[in-house]
Amino acid sequence: MNIVPTIGMETHVELKTNSKMFCRCNVAETEKPNENLCPTCIGLPGSLPVPNKKAIEYITLLALSTNCAITNDGMFHRKNYFYPDLPKNYQISQFDLPVGTDGSLEIVVDGEFGTVEIERVHMEEDTGKSTHIGSGRIDSATSTHLDFNRAGIPLVEVVTKPLIKSSKEAVAYIEELRQLVIDLNISEGKLEKGNLRFDANISVAYENADELGTKVEIKNMNSLKSLEKAIEYEISRQTKMLKNEEIIIQETRHWDEKKEVTSSMRSKEGSADYRYFSDPDIPNMILDEDFVTDIKKDMPLLPSDKRNTFIESGLSIEDANSLGKSATWIGELYNSVSNITKDSKVSFNWITGELQGQLRKLEKATPPTWLNPENLSEIISLVKSDKISFTSGKEILSKLIDEKINPEEYAVASKLIQENDTEEISKMVKEVLDENEEVIERISNGEQKLIGFLVGQVIKLSNGKVNPSVAKELLLKEIEQ
Amino acid sequence: MTEKINIKNVAKLAALKLTSEEEQKLEKDLSMIIDHFAALSEMELPDEKITIHPLGMSLNLAEDEAFKFFTHDEALSNAPEAIDGQFVVPPALD
Repeated sequence: MNIVPTIGMETHVELKTNSKMFCRCNVAETEKPNENLCPTCIGLPGSLPVPNKKAIEYITLLALSTNCAITNDGMFHRKNYFYPDLPKNYQISQFDLPVGTDGSLEIVVDGEFGTVEIERVHMEEDTGKSTHIGSGRIDSATSTHLDFNRAGIPLVEVVTKPLIKSSKEAVAYIEELRQLVIDLNISEGKLEKGNLRFDANISVAYENADELGTKVEIKNMNSLKSLEKAIEYEISRQTKMLKNEEIIIQETRHWDEKKEVTSSMRSKEGSADYRYFSDPDIPNMILDEDFVTDIKKDMPLLPSDKRNTFIESGLSIEDANSLGKSATWIGELYNSVSNITKDSKVSFNWITGELQGQLRKLEKATPPTWLNPENLSEIISLVKSDKISFTSGKEILSKLIDEKINPEEYAVASKLIQENDTEEISKMVKEVLDENEEVIERISNGEQKLIGFLVGQVIKLSNGKVNPSVAKELLLKEIEQ
Repeated sequence: MTEKINIKNVAKLAALKLTSEEEQKLEKDLSMIIDHFAALSEMELPDEKITIHPLGMSLNLAEDEAFKFFTHDEALSNAPEAIDGQFVVPPALD
């Protein structure tokens, strides 16, 4: 019987606001710890939280763009726990009335469309940063140092339904969500900076089982690669246990990046009971129709819209998806270039392969200002019409990145224009064949790959101007005769 | 009568140390409170809207403008212990 995994993702998105969620402290990075604090975010008695309007707009935008139903009459709850990363002893979060519920996000896995069901999108505040002094591990530290600069930064939690079936789907989902928050301009979306943090809930069960298996939560995955590896590891660990009829316990496990295994977090706390109750300091959050309509008006182009436009232009789902997740200038350049060349795939390959490759080698993030859709299209057209070879095209592109040139003029001046005149080439072919009778005999005896040598000789004779495919065709014709 | 309260667990979650006399007293008190609230659910109120917040006031949202409040030293001035500009507390899990 088949064993199938079930995965649910919980993702925290740090919003790009100027001030914190419930106070007006700066959120900018500082040199020193504990620079951006006020009575509210360090929980001094008498201070009152006031929600950030921009953050509420941002979460509404995210909820709408993930097709969620918006809770018009929502509220904030206190999530109580004793842990020093929030000095109030509770986190302001949302419980049964989150901003968005029952949404979905379109994803692309292996060149095919899929859907991830979203359970809820809710607003909360980030915690401070704790450093455990001593061994470095939380369970054997001698003291804990706290920096509250991050405490209170607006955080959106996006929770999926447990319907994800593979590590690939989970990775595609995070990639899509990341692109979405970047395109909505509500978060920096940088994984390495912790703008996007994710936990995975994983369980396994026999395919026809009535219930899901016991879920295990995996934390500490800092990259898409570690997410994929951690899920794979955990699925295989649980599958083995299920086959051996061992009992899988509900727990939180920590992904060890170096050892590439998950291990139980030996938390000495009892099972969490957060005793949620409505925060009496904050009145109901009414997101009325007008508010929601205004947000809808400002909705930018979503990643799925961009992807569809690229597909309509002629790209495969996979290429369209990868283009949509590239920097903005790449997509824009592609749109203009494919419009001129009328060849989507070739334009895509030149931009994402050649141009990006050469820029990467030069450690440049963007092309020079003079490189525009027109001169790039000119290079592509010269290659497509066989006026220059692919290699010469790459050479001209490299020159164009270096300085402002006219591709066609440069090709002429550098003698890169290929000879396509068959009569001229025939003459050279005959000359080469006359000098290589022994090679012809070997080709006739089955050493087909030697034809390449003859093509090389013709090119050499023409000073590199002959179109290799034309030369090859003529050579074969002559030899057959 | 509602389910029996696990007073030891409630005390643990609230990080309170209770004597056995206090446990007994509080268990009784809490049970009474919960029973009192349970009585509410027996009322038939089909058309009543749920009261989410007792004050019924609408929420004011603040504009997203950042200000400087405490200086670094002010923020740490009440800390029992501070090292390298950070608050120091006993190990988070002991």
